[in-house]
Amino acid sequence: MTWPERLYRALLRLYPAAFRLRHADEMTRVFRERLADASAKGSGVRYLLETVWDVVVNGVGERLWALRDDLRGGGGMDGWVKDARYALRTLIKNPGFALVAIVTMALGIGANTAIFSVVRGVLLAPLPYDEPGELVVLWGEMRNRDVLHFPSSPPDYRDYRDRADLFEGLSGVFTFQIALTGDGEPEQLDVAAVTSDYLTVMGIQPMLGRGFVAEDGVPNEPGVQPGAPGALPTSVILSHPFWQQRFAGDPGVLGRTVALGGAPAEIVGVMPPGVTLLMPPEAALEARPDLWMAARIDFANSPRNNVFLRLVGRLRDGVTLQQAQAQIDGIAASLAADDQVKTTAGYGMRVGSLHTDLTAQVRPVILSLFGAVVFVLLVACANVSNLLLARASGRTREMAVRAALGGSRGRLLRQLMLESVLLSLAGAVVGVALAAGGIELLLALRPDDLPRVQEVGLDGVVLGFTLASAVVAALIFGLIPAMQGSGGALGEALKERGQIGSGRGRKVLRNAVVVGEVSLSLVLLIGAGLMVRSFVALSSVEPGYDAEGLLAFNVAVPFASYPQPSDRALLADEIQRRLSEIPGVTAASAAFPLPLAGQLMNGRYGPGEALTDPEAFRQANYRAVLPGYFEAMGTRLVEGRTFTRADMADSLPVVVVDQILARTLWPGTSAVGQRFLIRAISPEPEWVEVVGVVEHQRSESLAVEGMETVYIPDRFMGSLASSWVVRSSLDPLSLVPAVRAELSRVDGDMPLADVRLFTDDVEGAMGATRFALTLIGLFGAIALALASVGLYGVLSYLVRQRTAEIGVRMAFGAEASSILGLVVGQGLGLAGAGVALGLVAASLLTRFMESLLVGVTPTDPLTFGGISGVFLAVAALASWLPARRASRVDPVVALRQD
Amino acid sequence: MGTNPEDMLPLTPVAFEVLLALTAGAAHGYAILRAVEARSAGTVSLHAGTLYRALARLVDAGLIEEMEGRAEEGGDERRRYYALTPLGRSVARAEALRLEAQVGAARAHGLLGGAGSP
Repeated sequence: MTWPERLYRALLRLYPAAFRLRHADEMTRVFRERLADASAKGSGVRYLLETVWDVVVNGVGERLWALRDDLRGGGGMDGWVKDARYALRTLIKNPGFALVAIVTMALGIGANTAIFSVVRGVLLAPLPYDEPGELVVLWGEMRNRDVLHFPSSPPDYRDYRDRADLFEGLSGVFTFQIALTGDGEPEQLDVAAVTSDYLTVMGIQPMLGRGFVAEDGVPNEPGVQPGAPGALPTSVILSHPFWQQRFAGDPGVLGRTVALGGAPAEIVGVMPPGVTLLMPPEAALEARPDLWMAARIDFANSPRNNVFLRLVGRLRDGVTLQQAQAQIDGIAASLAADDQVKTTAGYGMRVGSLHTDLTAQVRPVILSLFGAVVFVLLVACANVSNLLLARASGRTREMAVRAALGGSRGRLLRQLMLESVLLSLAGAVVGVALAAGGIELLLALRPDDLPRVQEVGLDGVVLGFTLASAVVAALIFGLIPAMQGSGGALGEALKERGQIGSGRGRKVLRNAVVVGEVSLSLVLLIGAGLMVRSFVALSSVEPGYDAEGLLAFNVAVPFASYPQPSDRALLADEIQRRLSEIPGVTAASAAFPLPLAGQLMNGRYGPGEALTDPEAFRQANYRAVLPGYFEAMGTRLVEGRTFTRADMADSLPVVVVDQILARTLWPGTSAVGQRFLIRAISPEPEWVEVVGVVEHQRSESLAVEGMETVYIPDRFMGSLASSWVVRSSLDPLSLVPAVRAELSRVDGDMPLADVRLFTDDVEGAMGATRFALTLIGLFGAIALALASVGLYGVLSYLVRQRTAEIGVRMAFGAEASSILGLVVGQGLGLAGAGVALGLVAASLLTRFMESLLVGVTPTDPLTFGGISGVFLAVAALASWLPARRASRVDPVVALRQD
Repeated sequence: MGTNPEDMLPLTPVAFEVLLALTAGAAHGYAILRAVEARSAGTVSLHAGTLYRALARLVDAGLIEEMEGRAEEGGDERRRYYALTPLGRSVARAEALRLEAQVGAARAHGLLGGAGSP
């Protein structure tokens, strides 16, 4: 017989003997032929796994079927109560055993409850909008340039809105920061600017006042800026927290006018608590705006290459994503046909479910964690199962006596299962308490981009899950011991006096359980090992800047006071001069946007050939910077020079590029002095000259290298740079009062916002990895501890059983070391089998966490090998303790024992 | 003991498949398994544990019976052959009628296109 067949025959023992006698031979033949077929097709392992499941489910099911009358009968409701009371008494009589089992189950169930609360809150619970399943996001794509999450221009948005009749509504949103002035301290606010139909599309009702109406979005006359004479007032709705904080929850704010960026804005409403801007992270929007503003967008006069709107829409009843996509494809194709840039870029528009896209980035982390806790629970079950098996051998006589006194097999089984369910439920109660603390811990560790954290908690659904997992766990860990305990040769047990182990079957079972839990724990530890490797890789990434010693903050320029780019350039110059003179400051500069800030500015660039062959255009990130930016960030200059004040003064079209761009356009030659085309500020591409090359800055995340970058003098971009960095040899936070003082000396209406250490941004970018690492590591450690306890328990039991035999061996001259070797060898044999099985399982499972990994493959040999080694070492230790006890057996005492 | 075929409905999908496979004549387990998979064009994969348990249940219920001796084609002595009982045949027929009525209802609601759509 081959080993799979042997395994199959062993598994068939799960069926009742009568069934096995009739069908086992035929089933084995079918199995053999099917396995051969499957192996030929390369799906042998899959077939094996399916078969194991098939046999376990049906074998156990068949046994229960055979017992169905017994289980149902046995004294009606009264009998159940009596049995439950008896089970409880049995457990109380043996508190040590019960305590260990309950604590073990509490760990497993508690971890499951905590992680499931995240699964439920983030992935499963519907979004807090009307009919959230109908909400979709539209993503611009430029498939020839690998750009997948592009915003849309106002005219494009209008075309989609007017022509996509499968949509009940389609709205646009963007966020920005602006200064609130007058009426107290100036303050920088996060604003969500929306088309006037946004609230209707999302189904949001303001708590006070009114929502936006079409008039709120009517554009100003061409050329009239907000706040200028003749401009229409802006309508805003306050977020609930901002209303509380700034206006102390005063309902009288309705109708009041505030100054936003120097322009008047009328407060028309207040949002209910908990309304946030839920959009996928790729949209790079501010999730918690302080206020919502109806954008006055001039669709007729907006250029089609000025893209900033994020589109979110609601499908009509019963319209599927596919149907919506087909209609949007048609509109996108007609837009591209009119537009050469769109055609060559491979323009398209993807329709995605808001909920799916919102959680797409965190889903792999959460599901990996969920997989991990299910494994922890299974390991816990294995341990308790082993405890029960060990105890069952001590209770053989009790069971035999009860059977002899007329307890049917089903009644005994029910009795034992009730004990298991009680243990599991007690574990669940303790587990829920653990989970309540665990959720706090989870939320403290969570990555910044985890959406909807406020919905994570213990609610009815989560507790229902806890209850269900406790019952299922009781079935898993209790059934096999209960079948063993209640059945078997009763007569023999009476004769045997429950002394020497009870038969080969039980030993095989216990060994199988240990092998199983070793392999489960190994899979978990390998997952943890891969996360450690990723974390190390991430920590040693060279991001292209030195975050240490950098203070970062935003300065909201009141645009109404500085309407012209030249005004803003002078202002920036003044701020930079004053900041640089603060004692302890070694460099100060600004950019828009800063790396890792979650903001986005990108566009085309290309060599001169692109004028005739538009397919030569590629996509790059653009960054508007002041002189001294690279020095302040600690970014290495590779070639040429960085910007000087002269580059700002007359907006000469000179740029600095990063190494990736230089390598792409001018491989093998110097980039300095080269000319190429960028499409950054003017509608058509224009020529610029490279004056310097710097190392690449990782911008979207630390884990991926990201797109090539063009650095442009801020003056050339219209003087927008408002994200400042200040480098200091002192503690950067100690500079904050001085920075604030200098800024208010420049302009009292210019608030300072988002003050932070730049290292916080870098830490934040490692958040998801750190989160997954900490938790998978924690679960792996729990599993390892449980598995070693399990191994220790089995071996101790074995040594106890074989004391007499060991005594004989020693009496005949066996060395202590050979006894030691015998027991340790047995332990390592079990652990080795578990490790082998675990390696196979891990190589199949770790691919599901591929998107969490950085700089390491899912089947990294070093991790697989290293973790196996650690595991075997722990197993050797767990075996050594009982082995030492065995080697110290006194033959005389051992032989005298009965 | 219900000898009325309707009392035994609905059948589990596996049971119904097995009865269907046996309408063509007696067969052993492996042949039934292949027949089921062939009819479903590989979309159903039936494992031995499920199949033999279903066979045991169907024998208990008197819908199929184990044949004495071997079937034709010089079969294999070690294999057990199964055949439909008259009761099994009428239960299978009753199940087919029940499913047909359901399909009809689905059609009437326009799920399958065709008749009934407004």
